[in-house]
Amino acid sequence: MTASLRALPAVFSVGLQRQLTYRWNYFLRAAFSALPLLVSFVFWGAVFGDRATVGNYTFAGILTYYAVLLVVEAVSQPSDDDFQIATEIREGALNPILLRPLPYGLYRATLFAAGRCAYFVAALLPVSLCLFILSRVVDLDLGSLHLVHGLPALLGSALLQFSMTLCLSLCAFWLLEVSALIFLIYALEYLAGGHVFPLDLLPAPIFAVVRLLPFAYEYWFPTAALCGHLTDEAWRVGLGLQYGWAIFFLVLAHFIWKAGLRRYTAAGG
Amino acid sequence: MKLLRLWLLQVRYAATRELMFRASFFVWVAVELAWFIIQLAFIGVIYHHVDEVAGWNRDQMIILVATNQLVMQIFTAFLMPGLSKLPELVRTGKLDFILLKPAPPAFLVSTSHLEIGPLANGSIAAVVLAGSVYALGLHPSALALAAYLGLIVAGLLVHYAILMGLVSLTFWIIQAESVLLGYYTIFHVARIPREAAAGWFRIFFTFAIPLLLVANVPASTLIRGLDPGPIFLFLLSGLGVAIASTLFFRLGLRRYQSASS
Repeated sequence: MTASLRALPAVFSVGLQRQLTYRWNYFLRAAFSALPLLVSFVFWGAVFGDRATVGNYTFAGILTYYAVLLVVEAVSQPSDDDFQIATEIREGALNPILLRPLPYGLYRATLFAAGRCAYFVAALLPVSLCLFILSRVVDLDLGSLHLVHGLPALLGSALLQFSMTLCLSLCAFWLLEVSALIFLIYALEYLAGGHVFPLDLLPAPIFAVVRLLPFAYEYWFPTAALCGHLTDEAWRVGLGLQYGWAIFFLVLAHFIWKAGLRRYTAAGG
Repeated sequence: MKLLRLWLLQVRYAATRELMFRASFFVWVAVELAWFIIQLAFIGVIYHHVDEVAGWNRDQMIILVATNQLVMQIFTAFLMPGLSKLPELVRTGKLDFILLKPAPPAFLVSTSHLEIGPLANGSIAAVVLAGSVYALGLHPSALALAAYLGLIVAGLLVHYAILMGLVSLTFWIIQAESVLLGYYTIFHVARIPREAAAGWFRIFFTFAIPLLLVANVPASTLIRGLDPGPIFLFLLSGLGVAIASTLFFRLGLRRYQSASS
């Protein structure tokens, strides 16, 4: 185990180098990530019109939500980890990794962390620029972020997203092509995760159901926690559910991995 | 005529290849359908709180989003699969095989692949659209319907030009897969009612990249009837962006160096 831990900095460094191999591709991706905020500004501006509030949100409040969501996304959303894992399994690239004295989950978690660090740095400039431009026209409420509530929720979101990604991509042991499955779950995450709109804009009965699902804890919960929209009790319950789901998916991934390895055939040299 | 025959041959070959993986077809239909449902759910949530957005009521907004979906699905079926392969062709040097053929390279690249699934989703979008037209009690004239279909084709041209411009970046930055993400991101703009945009945003997305016209002009034609001004503007700016992207592709092609031995 100590040997495994000693190898982690090297794996992290490899992860960073992988991310930065095609720098322009990477920076383009980061630059495009800021565009939805601009679209939200225009669209929600029309939705609000002369109204002071929509649901519980003011215009500045909803834009702050989308702005914080960008940061949550940069810190916790996997880039192409799912496709990498699936490719490693499908093409037999798992062979050399299995020979290393390093648990596969830990290896992938380190690469995930490296990817998130690199992306966060790359996204910092376009996102900051976008926030700066927006703050000229709207009074964004970014100065009073609730870090005590937000940071554990942000960490929980990264853990949850990583564990769900691991479960999904390990299905490649059984399925030749997992990309459709990944995109289907991605669509669910997008809607039920609070990416399209803050989940508390949903009618109350639907919101009550949606907040029991894991998707809500990927984006909506950390964003709402950072924005200070949650009471202490709602935050504690939410955090319990978030880490509960993350542990559930990590345990599930462990069992999928064990079952998958029994099916896996190492071919080639 | 020769290009049309070639295109039909490419479509037949691509369709045969596509039908070999039937399960994949149904899964991808479900994926695309899920994304359309997301857009409709978003409209549902917005209109749960307000009655109109920039002068568009709920059913009119559904017509706008369904029109955008229709254009996007036809584009995704016929042109996007081939175009999105360009970065890989450049990186691996396989573009050589296309350049050696006696037909325009942009045509061969963009018609080399086909996806049937999006056509099923396009049909669903058309049904949703028809439902909203019925709910609004609209009776568009034959001329307005013909104009609507013509404007859908113009919308395809704009989609084609924008993606062509984006994937042509591959001649400079080698791995340009993220431009596909950019394409999907940038087309969020097409779902906004044109009246909602103002200032430089409206000017830029009307004249430089006419995304605010792609779904707005056909949808308005269906809802409010023929209005020559916006239609002319759309055709003109669409043509402009198509010419610009073709020139950009040719410029990139001059930089291309075969990667094969």
